[in-house]
Amino acid sequence: MGKSITISGVFIYLRLVQEPFRDRSKLWWIVLGVILGGTIALVASLIILAARSSSGLGIPVVVGTILFGVSMLVVGLFRTLLIRQGTFSPRIGTLFLVGITCLLGVITIPVSIFILPAGWFDLWTVFVMGGVAIGIILLFLYSRYSWLKERGSPGLLTITGFLMVLAIIYMTVISYWIVPYDPADINVGPILWPPHPGFPLGTTSLGQDLLSRTIAGGGIMLQVAFLSVLICFFVGVPLGLLSSFRGGTLDRVLSLIMDAIFAFPGLILAIAIAAMLGPGVINMALAIAVVYIPSYFRVLRSQVLTIKELPYVEAAKALGARDRDTMLGYVLPNALPSIIVVMSINFADAVLTAAGLTFVGLGLPIDVADWGWDLTFGWHQLITGAWWVITFPGIMIVLLALGFTLVGEGLNEILTPMLKE
Amino acid sequence: MPNLLEIHNLSVEYKTRLGIARAVDNVSITLDENKTLGLAGESGCGKSTLGRAIIRLVPYPGRILEGEILLNLDEDVPYENGVVEKGQINLLQLDDDQMRALRGKKLAYIFQDPMTSLNPMERIGKHFVEIIKAHEPDTPKEDAQVRTKDLLEALDILPERVLDYPHQFSGGMRQRVMIGLGLTLTPQLLIADEPTTSLDVIVEAQILNLISDLKDKFNLTMMLITHNLGVLAETADSIAIMYTGRIMEIAPTEALFESPQHPYTQALLQSVPDVRKPDRKLSWIPGSPPSLTEPIPGCMFRPRCPHAMEICEMEPPPLIKSASGGIVACYLYEGS
Amino acid sequence: MPLIEVKNVMKHFPVQKGFLDTLFTRQKEFVKAVDGISFEIEEGEVFGLAGESGSGKTTMGRLIVRLIDPTAGQILFAGQDIAKIRGKQLRLLKRRLQFTFQDPYSSLNPRLTIGNAIADALRLQGIGNKSEQKQRTKKILERVGLSPASSFYDRLPHQLSGGQRQRVVFGRAIILEPEFVVTDEPVAMVDVSVRAQILELMKDLQDEYSLTYLFISHDLATARHICDRIGIMYLGKIVEIADKDQIYTDSLHPYTVSLMAAIPVPDPKAKKGEKLPKGEIPSPINPPSGCNFHPRCPKTFERCAEEEPALREVKKEHWVACHLYD
Repeated sequence: MGKSITISGVFIYLRLVQEPFRDRSKLWWIVLGVILGGTIALVASLIILAARSSSGLGIPVVVGTILFGVSMLVVGLFRTLLIRQGTFSPRIGTLFLVGITCLLGVITIPVSIFILPAGWFDLWTVFVMGGVAIGIILLFLYSRYSWLKERGSPGLLTITGFLMVLAIIYMTVISYWIVPYDPADINVGPILWPPHPGFPLGTTSLGQDLLSRTIAGGGIMLQVAFLSVLICFFVGVPLGLLSSFRGGTLDRVLSLIMDAIFAFPGLILAIAIAAMLGPGVINMALAIAVVYIPSYFRVLRSQVLTIKELPYVEAAKALGARDRDTMLGYVLPNALPSIIVVMSINFADAVLTAAGLTFVGLGLPIDVADWGWDLTFGWHQLITGAWWVITFPGIMIVLLALGFTLVGEGLNEILTPMLKE
Repeated sequence: MPNLLEIHNLSVEYKTRLGIARAVDNVSITLDENKTLGLAGESGCGKSTLGRAIIRLVPYPGRILEGEILLNLDEDVPYENGVVEKGQINLLQLDDDQMRALRGKKLAYIFQDPMTSLNPMERIGKHFVEIIKAHEPDTPKEDAQVRTKDLLEALDILPERVLDYPHQFSGGMRQRVMIGLGLTLTPQLLIADEPTTSLDVIVEAQILNLISDLKDKFNLTMMLITHNLGVLAETADSIAIMYTGRIMEIAPTEALFESPQHPYTQALLQSVPDVRKPDRKLSWIPGSPPSLTEPIPGCMFRPRCPHAMEICEMEPPPLIKSASGGIVACYLYEGS
Repeated sequence: MPLIEVKNVMKHFPVQKGFLDTLFTRQKEFVKAVDGISFEIEEGEVFGLAGESGSGKTTMGRLIVRLIDPTAGQILFAGQDIAKIRGKQLRLLKRRLQFTFQDPYSSLNPRLTIGNAIADALRLQGIGNKSEQKQRTKKILERVGLSPASSFYDRLPHQLSGGQRQRVVFGRAIILEPEFVVTDEPVAMVDVSVRAQILELMKDLQDEYSLTYLFISHDLATARHICDRIGIMYLGKIVEIADKDQIYTDSLHPYTVSLMAAIPVPDPKAKKGEKLPKGEIPSPINPPSGCNFHPRCPKTFERCAEEEPALREVKKEHWVACHLYD
């Protein structure tokens, strides 16, 4: 399965290579293709290796989510066909897709109950989340060619990053069901054994299975990343909006505070705050959020200051708009796109900072399976020649951060010409 | 006397998200020495792109596809690795170093917006001295400064302002400086892209007077790009009308206004108000030009043309001699 | 009673200074954009306000519709002083006084469909429910020539040409059925071949909705074509007001004379050679003493530097502010 996706991915790249949009070198395209193909192949092989899991439900979960995803793809194809024929308008078509997906979700309930009567809810959640992730991957690979063509290589960057992230999310979501051993269990295998049959990625110094840890270790990181982005957004954006709109003393004071925070080196500040707050997912997210809020604030503020002076905002005032109306209806929607770029870079940074915090010993209790911990321990093991403990989790961190970064880069490139236009 | 500039079958295209746009499509023009050619047309007709293609400064994502731009160079021009020889040369065959040697010295270009075309960190005098030094590095500084002061006098700028910064000049003064910079090395060809569009009426008139004085004084050949036909009526010897990247008509100025041949020219002239005749009925051209990324077969003006015929849909009309002494691209005159 | 009466209106913008300058200098500088202007606009006419940049014409337009507040003076609309209205009253006033902006590219919200952009006028004023707003918007779209309305309703501004966008701008201005519309350079940024169409639309709308226009422009050729009367502004003051014929054939103020002479005419045989005033428009922060134009005026004399001339009606319906005619 991994191979076919990789092949079709490469196929799409080859088609596009024939008409490069930006004058990127062929090398650039190849590297991008390798990165994406490599990620998906890696994720796929990990899943395949692991599917024969302890709970015995590994294969049904993988198959189930793939079926879900394929059904979404079929519905998506149907929708495209109907839109082309004119039966559906694009808006109704999307509603159709969403509706059928929800229907699929509902159908899966009895299926989950049947398979695992005791914990059917967890299983059902996995089916839906994993299935949607696979579905989005498949739909993108099929239907987004025209969008890619229009956007050119920046679109490709965004899609590549997006797919990488989705693949890792998928793997993390189904991780509970496919891991051969509980990632936190110690002494399931011999201590510090290199990769060999039975333990495809080797074992750690506590006898934990590295494959299980690699598959499951992303969960905390993703939670922290998403949570911190959410906090940043709902604090940074309103503050930025208020500050630039009201101006005056409030603006000056807030800008001063934000600049002060911004001047601090990010990781150090995060460490300081995490040390104060103590371990835990929410505390880690808060620590990272504090470091990042100034970016949101500044970007939004500068966008608002520019947009606020544009004629169409004044035109709204001429029609009788109050400050509140112009702020929410006219300025904010036009300022938000640049925030999206900040958000994706924030994701990437949050992942790396979370790894960093755990590496330093802050943030999580020691028995939670997390790539950060593997980095810490693996670092010490390198001297003894045990290269595998740090490598595989390390690669996954890099790929996750890279994925988010590509999304941000691509969006940045897409938005800049749009603004010029 | 051979032509100063001959453009043959020039095409420039832009790669955009929506496709490939032919900004300049198979354009051929000649410029006579010591004459002013007006390049007129509405937004998006390709006139600016044409001007920039001549000095080979077409911005990315545009590129020159094909064609020749033949300049009759009046002397040898040295550059880093040699000399660009006197005589007729094809500008599109020169490399970057050679083109750079020609730009400023033999080909001058004035940009539209004088507000942002000057370096705000440098005094005005330094702008001039820099240009002189760049092309004639052996000139002693004092000579360069004297030349600068003379030039400023010719531009009606007080010589003591040589120490001022650009932001201390008004828009009209800055445009004079731009013109002066263009003329510092007495080029053969001056291309001005909408030089007075961003200026007020009275300043515009002052600048146009200045340009016509300098034209005589420096024996200039000029290409004036603008959408304002009134300006061209005053300053141009002949006018070329462009539409969607193609030349529709070229004629001597008086002939163009008195007996416009191409239907587009006729319609255009009827939609330009004349301040002396406020009661004359203004007309307009219904519809809008086809998108450059989706050109239509045949004549691009056909959908809006009151005289459209079947043949107009098939092939773009070739440029043929017109009754007014110029050339026109229209099937109405085929066979006459 | 004239529909609009402007009485001695002034608008002085404080000059932004750097932090240190505010510390050390006591004097505040002002840009005297509008410096004591009085005129009247009759109901049903198209009154043109012409001048070059820095003349204050755009500021004047914005003042009349209260997009900005005057520093001093009265603005009477149908006899009522609106110079100091605020809050809800001001919002209601906007139903009767509208403003169209110059640049059709940046005066439309790029994220709103043009249908929603026009309907927003109703929404912001709290008129009608959603479907009523949509209906009225569709009618307006048809009215301004964007037909079929159902197809144009959902289009985004970047999908329209300049001329079409300008129609949307007008549609948005008249959907509230105002009595008075200020149009700021309505065709300056529209292609020449389409301008007359927009002007024709303006005239039609005027007949249909009984509108009165204030037409702000630097393009006197277009202004003469569409306006009934024209006022010439220079550096924050009105120098001459006359009907569209007199202002050209019988220009009295030296500035008006040079302005008219400088306009490029699409006729190569037109006579040139009028003497142009020297120099350029001085800064509105430090206008010259006495008559603003005296440093550049070819007919200046002693009194001009000392005393500011008042705007007087020297002939029937022909006003000028110049000591030559005192």
